[in-house]
Amino acid sequence: MYQVEASKALLKPKLWARRSARLNVPRNVVMLGMVSMLTDVSSEMVATILPLYLVFSLGASPLALGAIDGTYRGAAALVQVASGFVADRWRKPKEVAGAGYGISAVGKVALVAAGNTIGGIGAIVAFDRIGKGIRTAPRDALISLSSSKAGLATAFGVHRAMDSAGAMLGPLIAFGILLAAPARFDAVFVVSTLFAVLGVAVLILTVQGKPKRAPREDKPAPSLRAAAGLVKDRRFALLLVAATVLSLTSVSDAMLYVGLQRKIDFPLLYVITAVAFMGLAIPVGQLADRVGRVPVLLAGYALLFIVYGALLMSSLGYALLVLCLLGLGGYFAATEGVLAAIAGALLPEDLQASGLGMLTTVVSIGNLLSSLVFGALWLELGLHKAVLVFGAALALAILAAVPLLLRSQRAPLHG
Amino acid sequence: MGNRSGKILVGLIALCVVAGGAYVAVAALGPNETTTDARPQAGAVLDRSDVMVRAVEPSNPRLNGRVFVVDHGKVKQLPGDLSCERVYFAAGRGICMGVAPSGVDYTAQLFDAKMQSLNTIPLSGLPSRARISADGRYGAMTVFVSGDSYLESSTAFSTRTYVVDMASGKAIDQLEQFHVSKDGKPFDAIDFNFWGITFDPNDSDRFYATLGTGDHHYLLEGSIKGREMKVLRDGVECPSLSPDGKQIAYKSRIGHSSRWHLRVLDVATLKDHGVAETHSIDDQAEWLDNDTLAYSDGTNVYTVPADGSGEPGLLVRDASSPVRLPAGL
Repeated sequence: MYQVEASKALLKPKLWARRSARLNVPRNVVMLGMVSMLTDVSSEMVATILPLYLVFSLGASPLALGAIDGTYRGAAALVQVASGFVADRWRKPKEVAGAGYGISAVGKVALVAAGNTIGGIGAIVAFDRIGKGIRTAPRDALISLSSSKAGLATAFGVHRAMDSAGAMLGPLIAFGILLAAPARFDAVFVVSTLFAVLGVAVLILTVQGKPKRAPREDKPAPSLRAAAGLVKDRRFALLLVAATVLSLTSVSDAMLYVGLQRKIDFPLLYVITAVAFMGLAIPVGQLADRVGRVPVLLAGYALLFIVYGALLMSSLGYALLVLCLLGLGGYFAATEGVLAAIAGALLPEDLQASGLGMLTTVVSIGNLLSSLVFGALWLELGLHKAVLVFGAALALAILAAVPLLLRSQRAPLHG
Repeated sequence: MGNRSGKILVGLIALCVVAGGAYVAVAALGPNETTTDARPQAGAVLDRSDVMVRAVEPSNPRLNGRVFVVDHGKVKQLPGDLSCERVYFAAGRGICMGVAPSGVDYTAQLFDAKMQSLNTIPLSGLPSRARISADGRYGAMTVFVSGDSYLESSTAFSTRTYVVDMASGKAIDQLEQFHVSKDGKPFDAIDFNFWGITFDPNDSDRFYATLGTGDHHYLLEGSIKGREMKVLRDGVECPSLSPDGKQIAYKSRIGHSSRWHLRVLDVATLKDHGVAETHSIDDQAEWLDNDTLAYSDGTNVYTVPADGSGEPGLLVRDASSPVRLPAGL
């Protein structure tokens, strides 16, 4: 067990030590958190310096990369459903997730070898996105199957906290390297590759592929029909509908940042949000396991009203801005992992990855549509009215989600 | 997990730490300066003494971004240790946008005619454009701000354009917070991006700039004090007013590509014509006088007649960000 202790020490030493006595998180979840953390360090190292590299070393406009990335984001969302089903069908969530992490790692190696053309970098960014699409659903299934149903939200909270810790560390490490060795982007790419390889190694060597809630071997592998049939399962269907309605009415953080920046110039919006998310993910997960996931999830969506309110003000001070970003971090902490926990608790064991993949896809498509609609409303009506419309829609969505989610939590009538 | 995989993992971690550490150490300690004498070199065409440029030498961090002037066909490095990705100078004050001394952040240094740094303004993104009004009252800077992939937010890039009060050395406003109108009606959208201010040489409160939204790149005319801008026409990026204020040089996008042709627009009639440069140019052109444009393709600085006649000529090799200087700096 010494690796578990070591990994905990790597996180936030004291806070974690005090809490770990009460925090009974399965080792597998902590290990998956480690894998995500290492992979995120790797990805964010590259993401942070890529604009710098493009402009200063390749003389390219950063706008070129923005276009590339947007294209593959959509593709990655659809890959999720397929990889989720494949993981269930083959009963190999660890291996499918490993393929996703592996693809991203190979992309980093390619960056070291061939990252000196725009086309090459575009292909590597695509690799990274597709790898992310492949690994998300089977990894979430592993987290879910490794945890007791009573501790699911805490488990997802621990994973998301470690994940965003990696996203915070990556840029710091990248900048540290460039500080020591100016303009040596190759050094950043090499170290990023090593982090990605370590992530895959931790997955292969420490993560248990058949955790305790894994479906029994003697049961037949689920068919495509069974996976598709999930949408006819009343409880899961209710959850999907609620998640769709909520994601359609919540404005994406990127859009919120644009809106906030019209009011006040402050460069670190997403950093503060990410720190808040990291700090709140575990306690909010514990709260959800204790008082109920549905109320915590809905309270999380309600936190968006703070941000919407700030967007309606004519000017914004720093204190209010920070409050607003803490609210946004809290919103992520109370919705991201908690929604996965709700799904993990009601999905059958042999269809966890399929179901979680569907849920994530529905949410990301919902977010995409809400961004399009919000952008169009902003153009037609102005920011103020667009926010009012979305605020009203979110209020209605939360009210509508209450009965949907509560009904999804009731025990099934049969089976 | 077996004892064996534990040992493998510990070994692998040790290996990665050693390998990564060694690579970074070698990169940090190794010679990061090439030994060539590469530096901006004068081209053959002009014997001018009124142009400032920055050196383009990415492989040599100690030379890249240094400020030079063209002096009777010779290129001379100016004193001081400013390193700029973009530089501008007017009325005794300069703006140097670059990577901060820490190497991990971007800043703009305001400097005087002796190249002494006066003030530092933190920037929230990659340096792109810089301008100073002819009377030295206002400065303007555009940066590329990258979104971040945290929390799956969009990684699309956006721009931010600052207005600087050159006397106090502070960024006093942002175009993003100005009011925009089109055909007399308020105009706003989430994807608004502003870049490339040029100031009216006769009235520094008046300026032109670009508004990008959707597929459109509008020419804006605005007022700093009024904090407002209005759309004049489509298809104009990085405007640059001639010294007499009568013409605007700009880059015109070719279709939906990331390629541009330089063109010149008559302010009074809004009629425009191309110049003899046929290569794609991504730069905010600079007027050396009322008849001559200077611009960079990212590697060299060229000049071309503004009336569409003649041919482009090489002004300075391995340089970018040309600035017209008052005689005798």
